[in-house]
Amino acid sequence: MKNLNLLLAGVFFCVAAVWTGLLVTAQVQLGSLGRAPAEEGGPLFPAREPGLAIQGRAVYLDLGCVACHTQQVRPAGQGSDIARGYGVRPSVARDYVLQPQVLLGQRRVGPDLANYGARAKSDAELAAFLAAPAAGVSHPPYAFLTAERSAALVAYLKSLRQDYSSPEAKLKQ
Amino acid sequence: MSQENRPARPSGRPPESGFARLSRTESGLRGPFLCFFASAVLWLVVASVLALVAAVKLHRPDFLGACELTTYGRVTAAARDTFVYGWGFNALFAVNFWLMAQLGRFEFRNGWLATLGGATWNLALTYGVVQIIRGELGGFALLDLPREVGPVLLLAFLLSALWSVVAYARRPGGQNFVSQWYIVGATFALPLVYLLAQLMVLWFPTVGTVQALAHAWFVQNLLFLWFGASALAAAYYFVPKILGRALGHYYLAPVGFWTLFLFAGLGAPAALLGAPIPIWLQSVGVVASVLGLVPVVVLAINFLSTLSVDGGWSRSWNSTTLRFVVVGIVSFLLFGLLTAVCSTRDLSATLAFTSFAEGQVQLLTYGAATMILFGASYFILPRLTGSLWPSSKLVHVHFWSAFLGLLIAVGAALVGGWQAGQQLATPAVSAAQVAAQSAPWALAGSLAALLLLIGHVAFALNAFGMILSSTTPTSDGRSD
Repeated sequence: MKNLNLLLAGVFFCVAAVWTGLLVTAQVQLGSLGRAPAEEGGPLFPAREPGLAIQGRAVYLDLGCVACHTQQVRPAGQGSDIARGYGVRPSVARDYVLQPQVLLGQRRVGPDLANYGARAKSDAELAAFLAAPAAGVSHPPYAFLTAERSAALVAYLKSLRQDYSSPEAKLKQ
Repeated sequence: MSQENRPARPSGRPPESGFARLSRTESGLRGPFLCFFASAVLWLVVASVLALVAAVKLHRPDFLGACELTTYGRVTAAARDTFVYGWGFNALFAVNFWLMAQLGRFEFRNGWLATLGGATWNLALTYGVVQIIRGELGGFALLDLPREVGPVLLLAFLLSALWSVVAYARRPGGQNFVSQWYIVGATFALPLVYLLAQLMVLWFPTVGTVQALAHAWFVQNLLFLWFGASALAAAYYFVPKILGRALGHYYLAPVGFWTLFLFAGLGAPAALLGAPIPIWLQSVGVVASVLGLVPVVVLAINFLSTLSVDGGWSRSWNSTTLRFVVVGIVSFLLFGLLTAVCSTRDLSATLAFTSFAEGQVQLLTYGAATMILFGASYFILPRLTGSLWPSSKLVHVHFWSAFLGLLIAVGAALVGGWQAGQQLATPAVSAAQVAAQSAPWALAGSLAALLLLIGHVAFALNAFGMILSSTTPTSDGRSD
């Protein structure tokens, strides 16, 4: 392997082949997904985020919440997410098609938030929790959040829902 | 072995140190090398302080909790980026440079271009880290610097690192060694991967979870093909060089090289088992991760067969450079083994989202790459500065703090992650209970972060003491 061109060509092949095999094919398979009804004529899901929730998403990112919270419910047999009440069905690719940044997350220091909106407390309770968590709860206090940013973050957290049927994951009746 | 015959313990003044004059290949390197190296050490200390703050916040969430600038998410992202892009990249630029110049007899005449690249890199990174602390961070680890920083880093990388490829192209007589392949491969692959990941995740985001897949592919390549490959290049150089013998089963090295480059990126979907991406992609990731054992076995044969004859292990222990390098090699082999074993569906389901994955990453970025970089520094710096390490005690403090810090950090992350995974698999155990029982492991993580900070400060004091007392040696035309 003394030839530089051959070495570079080989490395390029390795990178390009894997990129094509994984990412281009994934884009072909998932790239055209959009909102869809679970059944013909039904409402389209996922629902669009309200404006305040879009602002709240920015707060969620600013604070770095993604370091401790995931947003994905794994199927039964691949972890106990559904049994723990994190969701009512596994997350599917279509759930994320409207998200500008998909925040699946990598670590669960705190609970999963994919379907948090379906089990959330009231706005006031949630805002109070974020400002001053109860003693013994392993969550940092965000007392520095202004009322506007806190309200936006609460709106975002409550907008996180995966409790609807989609063509790939229908809810059990 | 009798006491009299036992080789002396490392005194912090490695026998290879103290050359007063430089070869032609080294004299052109001195400026850029020291620029990258000094930057790397400064970033290492900054990263260690941030990592300590993040580690404490993990078990004391209210620590520095009144200030928005120091949320756990921001501090941990800043610590990760300063460590990877600040310490890791700068140090690898420097060491890769030196290795390629040595192996290819390359006389480096355009040092100002590399130095310009280094300055650009560090300025862009400083801006990015400040922005992260101010709250401008993205949602993807290691791609969380503001997106406008990406193109600048790419340009700086090309200015800084591509000299390694030039050195390989211009080597006289076609000398060829496995370290050169790894450096050329890493230097060529990383800009491609970084460019594609930037485009697919930040500039023209792909739809939905394809972003997550692109991110996983980027991280996998960054870890294996930049950190892993560059560290292995140094290990392949220093082990036979210092032991004074040929590498065992050298003919297998090309197999290790090509299989690493092929399977590393392909294993990316294994990090997303159970995530909302197609099942077939997840299966490809698992298979590729298991096939990733092939390069690990080749590396094990190469290094263990070289170290296991003629007292290689004890000689390594008594060489400051090889002591670090051998810890790095063992860490890499453990990392490869863990990656393959833990990619299986059952284990992944249990260990996902716990600290276990962080422990694995730390085994590679710190245990393997950083330890090998430390070892390389102890070999190279005395040659380039013409000085001896100022304090042998600080060398000992550095090694033992880094080694014990590594053991505790990785041990706590792996064992704590395993325990948390078992508990999370049981729905009856609440998340609060899991967090409470993970607290001792988080505390151990803080202790490890403190030890690492102590070791890094000792290393920085010694390194800057050496650089500042440098005799500014000049070339006398010595050619080695």
